[in-house]
Amino acid sequence: MVVGGGVAGIQASLDLADSGYKVFLVEKSASIGGVMARLDKTFPTNDCSMCILSPKLVEVGRHINIELLTLSDVNTISGEEGNFEVSITRHPRYVDMDKCIACGLCAEKCPTSVPDSYDGNLASRKAIYVQYAQAVPLKYAIDPESCIKLTKGKCGICRKKCPTGAVDYEDTRKDIFLNVGAVVISQGAETFDPAVHDTFGYKKYPNIVTSLEFERILSASGPYGGHLVRPSDEKEPEKIAWLQCIGSRDAHIGARGYCSGVCCTYAIKEAMLAKEHSKSGLDTAIFYIDIRTNGKDFEKYYNRAKEEAGIRFIKSKVTEALPVDGTGGHLIRYINESGKRCEEEFDMVVLSVGLGVTNQGADLGQRLGVDLNHYNFAETSSFSPVESSVAGIYVCGAFQGPKDIPSSVIDSSAAAGVAGSRLSGSRWRLTKTKEVKKEKNVAGDRPRIGVFVCCCGTNIAGVVDVTAVVASAEQLPNVVYAEQNMFSCAQGTQDKIAELIREKDLNRIVVAACSPKTHEPLFQETLQSAGINKYLFEMVNIRNQCSWVHKQAPEEATQKAMDLVKMSVAKAARVQPLKEPILQINQRAMVIGGGIAGMIAADNLAQQGYAVDLVERQARLGGNALSLYKTWKGEDIAGFVKQMVEKVEKNPGITVHAGSTIKKVDGFVGAFGTTLEKEGCREVLDHGVTIIASGASELKPEGQYLYGTDDRVITGLELQARLARRDESLDNVETAVFIQCVGSRIPERPYCSKLCCAQSIRSALELKENKPETEVFIVYRDMRPYGLREDLYREARQKGIRFLRYNFDKGLDVTNEKGCLKVSFTDFVLRRKMVLSPDMLVLAAAIVREKNDPLAGFFKVTQNDDGFYVEAHLKLRPVDFATDGVFLCGLAHGPKPVDESIAQAQAAAARAVTLLSAGSIPVSGTVAQVNPRLCSSCGVCVSVCPYSAPRFSEKTDKAEIESALCKGCGLCAASCRSGAIALKGFDDQQITSMIMCA
Amino acid sequence: MEPFVLEKEKKERFLDRIRDMVPGGDRLDLCLTCGACASGCPATGLEGMDPRKFLRLAVLGLDDQIAGHPWVWMCSMCMRCTHACPMGINIGAMVYEARNLWPREQRPKGILGSCDMALRNSSGSAMGISEDDFEWVIEDILGEVRETQPAWKDLQAPVDKKGAHFFLSQNSREPGIEPEEMLPLWKILHIAGVDWTYSKRGWGGENYCMFLADDQSWEKVTRNTIESAMDLGCKVYLNTECGHSTYSVWMGQKKFNIDTPLQIEPIVPHYARWIREGRLNPNSEWNRDLKIKFTVQDPCQQVRKSFGDPLAEDLRFVVKACVGEENFIDMVPNRSNNYCCGGGGGYLQSGYNEARLKYGELKKDQILATGAHYCVTPCHNCHDQIHKLAEHYQCGYHTIHLWTLLALSLGVLGENERTYLGEDLQDVNLPEA
Repeated sequence: MVVGGGVAGIQASLDLADSGYKVFLVEKSASIGGVMARLDKTFPTNDCSMCILSPKLVEVGRHINIELLTLSDVNTISGEEGNFEVSITRHPRYVDMDKCIACGLCAEKCPTSVPDSYDGNLASRKAIYVQYAQAVPLKYAIDPESCIKLTKGKCGICRKKCPTGAVDYEDTRKDIFLNVGAVVISQGAETFDPAVHDTFGYKKYPNIVTSLEFERILSASGPYGGHLVRPSDEKEPEKIAWLQCIGSRDAHIGARGYCSGVCCTYAIKEAMLAKEHSKSGLDTAIFYIDIRTNGKDFEKYYNRAKEEAGIRFIKSKVTEALPVDGTGGHLIRYINESGKRCEEEFDMVVLSVGLGVTNQGADLGQRLGVDLNHYNFAETSSFSPVESSVAGIYVCGAFQGPKDIPSSVIDSSAAAGVAGSRLSGSRWRLTKTKEVKKEKNVAGDRPRIGVFVCCCGTNIAGVVDVTAVVASAEQLPNVVYAEQNMFSCAQGTQDKIAELIREKDLNRIVVAACSPKTHEPLFQETLQSAGINKYLFEMVNIRNQCSWVHKQAPEEATQKAMDLVKMSVAKAARVQPLKEPILQINQRAMVIGGGIAGMIAADNLAQQGYAVDLVERQARLGGNALSLYKTWKGEDIAGFVKQMVEKVEKNPGITVHAGSTIKKVDGFVGAFGTTLEKEGCREVLDHGVTIIASGASELKPEGQYLYGTDDRVITGLELQARLARRDESLDNVETAVFIQCVGSRIPERPYCSKLCCAQSIRSALELKENKPETEVFIVYRDMRPYGLREDLYREARQKGIRFLRYNFDKGLDVTNEKGCLKVSFTDFVLRRKMVLSPDMLVLAAAIVREKNDPLAGFFKVTQNDDGFYVEAHLKLRPVDFATDGVFLCGLAHGPKPVDESIAQAQAAAARAVTLLSAGSIPVSGTVAQVNPRLCSSCGVCVSVCPYSAPRFSEKTDKAEIESALCKGCGLCAASCRSGAIALKGFDDQQITSMIMCA
Repeated sequence: MEPFVLEKEKKERFLDRIRDMVPGGDRLDLCLTCGACASGCPATGLEGMDPRKFLRLAVLGLDDQIAGHPWVWMCSMCMRCTHACPMGINIGAMVYEARNLWPREQRPKGILGSCDMALRNSSGSAMGISEDDFEWVIEDILGEVRETQPAWKDLQAPVDKKGAHFFLSQNSREPGIEPEEMLPLWKILHIAGVDWTYSKRGWGGENYCMFLADDQSWEKVTRNTIESAMDLGCKVYLNTECGHSTYSVWMGQKKFNIDTPLQIEPIVPHYARWIREGRLNPNSEWNRDLKIKFTVQDPCQQVRKSFGDPLAEDLRFVVKACVGEENFIDMVPNRSNNYCCGGGGGYLQSGYNEARLKYGELKKDQILATGAHYCVTPCHNCHDQIHKLAEHYQCGYHTIHLWTLLALSLGVLGENERTYLGEDLQDVNLPEA
């Protein structure tokens, strides 16, 4: 059971269900999606949030082994790991989900409007509603608090208007009892309510909004249709201020002491997007304490915002935004870099509100007996970051701590991985498998095309004349049947299409509806269920391409829809059934890198029942962790590593190949053959999946700040090693100075090494503890102990460790003056030169990776400019590579502390298991194929393919394409100068036919 | 400029010395250098100093940069910074301790002299008005009003009345300079039927020793007045409309652990209560057509530093009852988030007049932004400073005590009790002869 249907819960559910477990996903609201569904774009790629989330929503909605329980609350859980009894209350929806086709007639006629909390109460919705257009399940629900039929017994219009009789005012709450083996809590967090301690007048002035409300203002589906306007007068603002740390890093009533970890980057995102939206050269300013862009690629995003987008960053906390009479604007007083108090007027003020556990979340945690910390986040150990204090109950996402989407997704895969490792005995026991219908052979038959045109409620039919499109389709050659549907994707319509395929003997289907990106697989399944090949299908997107973009010109939109349908019909007549080759997955896994991440991944895979080859270049396992002392929370890393090494070495399921390097890799997902070399001997290992956990290392900043020439100057890792072995030299230290960001956040390495701030603070505290009279200074640019690490930073200040923010532009010098080390720099606050005389200088050096790692070539994966591996999608596929069957975790992905490396390793294992457990996978039929007679062996296809699918045949010397690697992108087909390559499903004849009739 | 050299300390740092003396002193090291304090402080920039910089110097142990710095007298210790600070650092209390780094005799003469004067006589008066002189002034002015205002022939101003419910403190300014300013309050108390008394011993409400950061003397003055009230068997120590005296007694009692059964209370909430109970019935009818606009200054000492927003609400309730809801305009920010006017912390007596007027600019602008004709201040130092700001910056607004307004709206404000009212109100709602 997964509790909470935000992005974390969705990912956990999908990973578990894909690994062979039946999943119940319990969501308290009427549909899944959580906070991410409300965001406009996501950092740092500025991807449309809904566009990348929606396929996952659909996948959950369609998944045969995920049962969605919406409007449901978990009451109690009893029993134990492997056998929990769960009691759930499902609140009435008042709409029969089986009958509702989401046509929207009910909401159109509903007389009751209420503020729409999805839109930050900036717009209104009806008492019968769907949360948003892409909601899953896309079924209406009645809000019992505002519906006048339910509260006063009046009205009843929606029942009268509903064409399917779905409205049921007599619906009642139901008690549901489940028996589950594991529980994953992913209840997420909510944003801080600034009205709790309202010094800004958030509730009083309309142009002071929270960051989440601002997301809705930016969103095309938001209250202003994506136009950047301010609420008071719906005019475009010329100046907007973002105020950071609202409700975070704050000791005031209702506020929280921790850093919410996400607000700096989202404020940068919002400011950049607002600038893009603005027609008049918007002026944006972000008022901050420290800018904390420590996630992967976030620092570059910050630099871009500063240098290219011209966003102003002002280091001053602001405590008021005074209304300026009659203008709707607000006056902000702040202190500038030269210490002067300044005043500036802004048209709009955005409060960058932090994240916190919901009251319901804390209640549930308490009811389940899960230990919560003093902020009500679930308490976890750094070494088991997704395990709660109750065995069998796992936590992920923002319920464990404030975190962003990639971290939440990693956590949730990790939770799936750990839960899966404990339940592996019952894999595939309770799941259903899709029934595979025998396909009717239609090759050679005359095309008999069926066309289905979707109204999408009013989404399409509101603009496009759907009836006319159907009428024109009926006239097209080979079309034997055409009809319109209110919602083509509704379950009822799907059944009907299948029935019509059989009844009318249709052998090609064209659906004119929304985006194939989200909906094509759904219709293809319908074809399969009706017994015809799924590639006998064409989809036309008349929503995005007609009704949405040509809202102002309905006639032309209709004409365009007709033309698009005509083209697809022409192509459909020529499409042929395609085979999806089945690829067997070798049941062994290879993990490359024997550091903490690699060991954890190997251990998890072994626990899940898969044999693992663990390859380590060094002679012993442990990696960087061998020099680490304690986690930021103070847990003993050395002890943990020792225990892990023993566990891995003793595990019969894991074969450790220490002192081995990889020389060659052949094959692809399911069938890799990797050549190892150990002491001159070579060995080929076969494996189905690969996890790359090859780590990174600490920069040795030779020559900088006297490192390497003065032995009083050491790196952070070297200090940890000394602390770990209780080096006596530390007892003589009177004054220790730490310099942060050595080698990080510079043009050469424009990234934040993420772990050094908390590590330096932890080490500084250890020095103090060791000898309380030691003077410890930490010289920094921005202190970035994100999330709950802020507590550690506070503890350090409390204990007298002194933090000095220096002016980076004015430099920092380390010199040896008559045997004394001198550290000099300009203090930011005092604006004066400072001189420190340490007898130990600790350089918090960057985390670095070699830039031309041979592994990248072997596995066809890419490294970014900094040498870190590039994942398939920064947000939603953070441990997958674009290359199938290869996963990544740990420092190889980017700098991160131990707890995050562990979670990522567990996540990578979970993702790998989704493949391993399937045993075999179908490969897409849409692949390129070489006609060897035409091939001139020029090699263009081999060089252009990003997936390394084409290669020269050893026998014929002609190109051939490995269909398991081919993604069907068509790059080779378009590049082939001999016309030897055709992409199945997109061959020249098919495309030409479309063009000819357009 | 010479660099600051941070050496390992040999002697105890200022911050370590004061940690136990400052309320919440364990937070002094928590500064995030966020700048919230400095961005909203009227003293930012004076003498090149601001609260963040000052705290920073202290945290880094640069004590010689702090010791003797004149900024400590330019900070009014209004504690707006503390209120804003996300770490809740009591910067105000730190500045108090930093005043102590000045040799006593080198501290501003005005403050020093006023403190010493109060110590010299048992009346507690910073102006040196003795117990007997005070009683004489009271009787003199009382006699005059009984004679010239027949309606008030029974007006009382009891001194040393045993067992009275309220012990009322009195700032020296009225008996010393403008005794007729006491009459509105006496009339209000009379109408409300309040059982109250002045005392001879310790009648003086002001406490410049607090501003001098002289703990011992602060305690002495406070003890004297509290004990006097206890000797009379009063139940409530009622502070007159004077912010710092309210704070000095309220805080002094806690700070010095003065054992007393007395309730220490400010007067504004009592005005509000008497109105709510129907014992006072101010009428805003006089302003219905005049539409004269009023704003209020929330005294830091009575609102942010002690009694909080509830007092600020009562203050608005009383003012609105007197002038009509529609004629009240709030300044922003306000209540606990209000800016200090610059009259606090002994500023008016410190001699740093230029800094004080510069400091007050924010307040002046705030008042002007309301467009109000009158600023009501239930505090002597606020009254004096805001009045002086109007003179210096040539603003048209008037500054009045709340008692003046209340008496006006009760229809009992006599002709010669209107010194601070403008021309527009000299003849309004005069009592019938």
